[in-house]
Amino acid sequence: MAWSQRAARRRVHKGTTLLAIYAAASLVPVLALGVTLVRGYHDAGITRATSQALHQVAVIERMVVSPALRDADFSQGLTDSEEYSLRLSTDLAVYDGGVARLRLYDFDGHVVFAENGDTGTVLADDPAFQRAANGKPSATLLDSGDASSRGAVIRVLAQVVPEATGRALGVLEVQLTYDKIADQIAAETRAAIIRLAIGLAALYAVLGLISWWTTRALGRHAAAKEHQALHDPLTGLPNRDLFRRVSERAVERAQGRGALVLVDLDRFKEVNDTLGHHAGDELLQVVGRRLQESLRTDDTVARLGGDEFGILLPGESDRAATVELLTRVREAVGAEITLDDSTLTVDASFGICFFPDDADTVEDLLKNADAAMYQGKHGPTGVVVYEESAARPATDSLVLQRELRRAIADDQLLLQYQPKLHLSTGQVSCVEALVRWQHPERGLLPPIDFLPVAERSELIEPLTRWVLRQALTDCARWAEAGRPWSVAVNVSARNLATLEFVEVVRETLAATAVPPERLYLEITETAVAFDAGQVREVVERLAEIGISVSVDDFGVGYTGLSQLRAMSIREIKIDRAFIANLEESQQDRAIVASVIDLAHGLGCTVTAEGVETQQVADWLADAGCDHGQGYLWLRPSPWQEIVPAGEASGTALPASPAP
Amino acid sequence: MLVRRTALASLLPALLLAGCAAAGSEPDQQDAPSLSVDEDLHALLPADVRERGVLRIGTDPSYAPMSSYGEDGRTIVGMEPDLGDALGDVLGVDVRFVDTDFTTILPDVDTGRLDLGMSAMTDTPERAEQVDFVNYFSAGTSILVQRGNPAGVFELEDLCGKVAAVEKGTTQVDLLDRAQGRCDDEPIDVRTYGTNSDALVQLRTGRAAAVLNDLPPAALLVTDPDTKANYQLASTAQLEPGLYGVAVDKDLPGLRDAVQAALEVLVDRGVYADVLAHWGVEDGAVQDVTVNSGR
Repeated sequence: MAWSQRAARRRVHKGTTLLAIYAAASLVPVLALGVTLVRGYHDAGITRATSQALHQVAVIERMVVSPALRDADFSQGLTDSEEYSLRLSTDLAVYDGGVARLRLYDFDGHVVFAENGDTGTVLADDPAFQRAANGKPSATLLDSGDASSRGAVIRVLAQVVPEATGRALGVLEVQLTYDKIADQIAAETRAAIIRLAIGLAALYAVLGLISWWTTRALGRHAAAKEHQALHDPLTGLPNRDLFRRVSERAVERAQGRGALVLVDLDRFKEVNDTLGHHAGDELLQVVGRRLQESLRTDDTVARLGGDEFGILLPGESDRAATVELLTRVREAVGAEITLDDSTLTVDASFGICFFPDDADTVEDLLKNADAAMYQGKHGPTGVVVYEESAARPATDSLVLQRELRRAIADDQLLLQYQPKLHLSTGQVSCVEALVRWQHPERGLLPPIDFLPVAERSELIEPLTRWVLRQALTDCARWAEAGRPWSVAVNVSARNLATLEFVEVVRETLAATAVPPERLYLEITETAVAFDAGQVREVVERLAEIGISVSVDDFGVGYTGLSQLRAMSIREIKIDRAFIANLEESQQDRAIVASVIDLAHGLGCTVTAEGVETQQVADWLADAGCDHGQGYLWLRPSPWQEIVPAGEASGTALPASPAP
Repeated sequence: MLVRRTALASLLPALLLAGCAAAGSEPDQQDAPSLSVDEDLHALLPADVRERGVLRIGTDPSYAPMSSYGEDGRTIVGMEPDLGDALGDVLGVDVRFVDTDFTTILPDVDTGRLDLGMSAMTDTPERAEQVDFVNYFSAGTSILVQRGNPAGVFELEDLCGKVAAVEKGTTQVDLLDRAQGRCDDEPIDVRTYGTNSDALVQLRTGRAAAVLNDLPPAALLVTDPDTKANYQLASTAQLEPGLYGVAVDKDLPGLRDAVQAALEVLVDRGVYADVLAHWGVEDGAVQDVTVNSGR
């Protein structure tokens, strides 16, 4: 994607700059170290040379000069014999140039003896001379000596002590030619510089290598962090942040047209609850991959969280073509998926909002697409384009969630009951509790209007708890009124995901003093369908208590027979889809007949849902079906209305005409 | 003069006990505050000395630790210069030590070229004929040999037939002369040198079998790190102990008495003991400063 290429380029540039700074910064101490060491080496060479000269002159003084001066008195000058023996012992050294100067001074600084006969100099003011006169010899390097024709010399000033008593006679000045020593020092310094240069270069290389490595590691780390911050770790798709950014850029682009699509998987929670999270995760990965594969590379697919995906189709403005495209995408997503050896299909709802026509900010786009998506959930096609007129604020899932939460707390919910009859006797054996919502603005809402939202959120738990308590409370009341009916409550797959639910049921039974045998819990086929350990365990526990478990809407989902066999199921309710066309369809009759046989074979009772005519009821009774439920007898209504109806016909309800 | 810091540090408490507050200054210099000029003694000094304000004291600086050249090769240091300086403090004059051949000290004192002689000179009857001596130290003679004693010298008799190096004009020359009688056939080859250092050169270079020194300088030579590798004592015996004396012209009894009284002041004040202790020669201290007490 162009976005990540740009980011990569920026990272590379940043890394190079950082490396250059590192390199420059480490070059400074390395060079400083080099200069210091070289200079130190050079200085040490000179110090060594002068200190050597000091010792040399000390030996010259002891062995050459002093012996010639025994009993001398500088204040009287030298005697001829003293001068003669001094010349004798120094001439050669002076002549061949090793000694550039050799002079003797009295303590006043007057020359007593000079190697070249020049006795004119007076040195008294020279501090080095004064120090030497007081017993502190010194050696200094003179760059050009006194005469410009001469090279550098080391000048040494030291006392002359010709007597055993240690009495000093005067000061000796010797200048030793320095050139050879200088050459040696230079050679040593050169050698040191070469060694040093190699060492420092190696050091610098190591530093550079470390810097390069560190920079690269940092860069990679930063890139990984950035990617992590902007991508969903599960699917590898851009996350909500990045999707928002990309969308904003698309919306802000001049004359930018396009469509923002929200995709939501239907019944994903059920998969998650029944098959476990790893299966849910795998499903999301598959869906993400399918979405991406069926779109263009310019389009952005993102996972916004949970089972919600976002798609940005830049440049798209043809509504019909977009719907057509997304319908194809939806088909691709809906292809069969095998998870944990189970095959399932997943439906997705698509909500589309075009910009800039229907919204020009990302916020509005998301809101409108969300609204369209919820419409799609209830609609026939699953792909809905947002139209302003069709917008209903209540379809906003968040608003609905908020309202539903309040509804549970404020008792805006109510239960209606539909009786289940023995087909053979016409007696009511059980009533199914059906929840309604007395919405303050929108009137009485059927479950389809709010149950999906509840199931998609945590609200399903308080809702089920409410229904359970209310149904059992009602059950206790009609038992008091002399009606020994059982009560059936629908529970979601999500409720069965935790053992806690068993406790909730047990406590509610205890609180309402209803015997467990009176309670039927109806679960959807999907919840039973997969071998999810937890669901099975919960069902077993419920059965142990004595509660009956029914499989609702049997025949439209997936149920493995082995799984049916493995669970303690008391009742199977055949979906109304098979009952509705029973009179016309030979196949449906065959299916229903065999389901009845199958259920009986498994030790379950069978209930037919949606019975609307007496003929159907008769056929079912002939086929051996145990119970029937439907408008033929009674629409869902408050239980008080069922009691008089029951009383009117004794124990059996009369058939009422179909609506 | 140079005083080692450690020596100075050890000397300080003693000076403070003596009522001196000369912290940081050198202990035996004329400015030591415990010493004040004694005007009576100053008055005893000869007129020319008082006029000059300087007391010239002759010494042969080849006899550490009594007197020798310091490390600078130009200043004379030792027990005698320190004592002389303190003497000057009491007498109210400056003191100058003059490098003089040992043999010319007495003649120079006699002629007045020097006011005093102070050079580890033993007060002997012969010398006492020429000058008066104010006795300030006691020491006998030791025999120095090369380390390892290669010539096998343990007492004077062992020197018979061997070379003994001594400084010219010292009592050691007389001592060796008297010892000649104990040699059977071969006498001691006594060679004299202008300074004690020259005599030591002979020993160090193996040209002499022994050097005769007073005990203090001999003891220093065998303990000083610079020289102890070369010398050792032939025995612990001290031969013919005697008293050192400050030589004074017999014609100047006032000067003699002034020196005697001033030295007594130094003894009384403890300065004398401090100086001797500083140079490690306290064993040679005298109880009283006497005149012409030599044998």
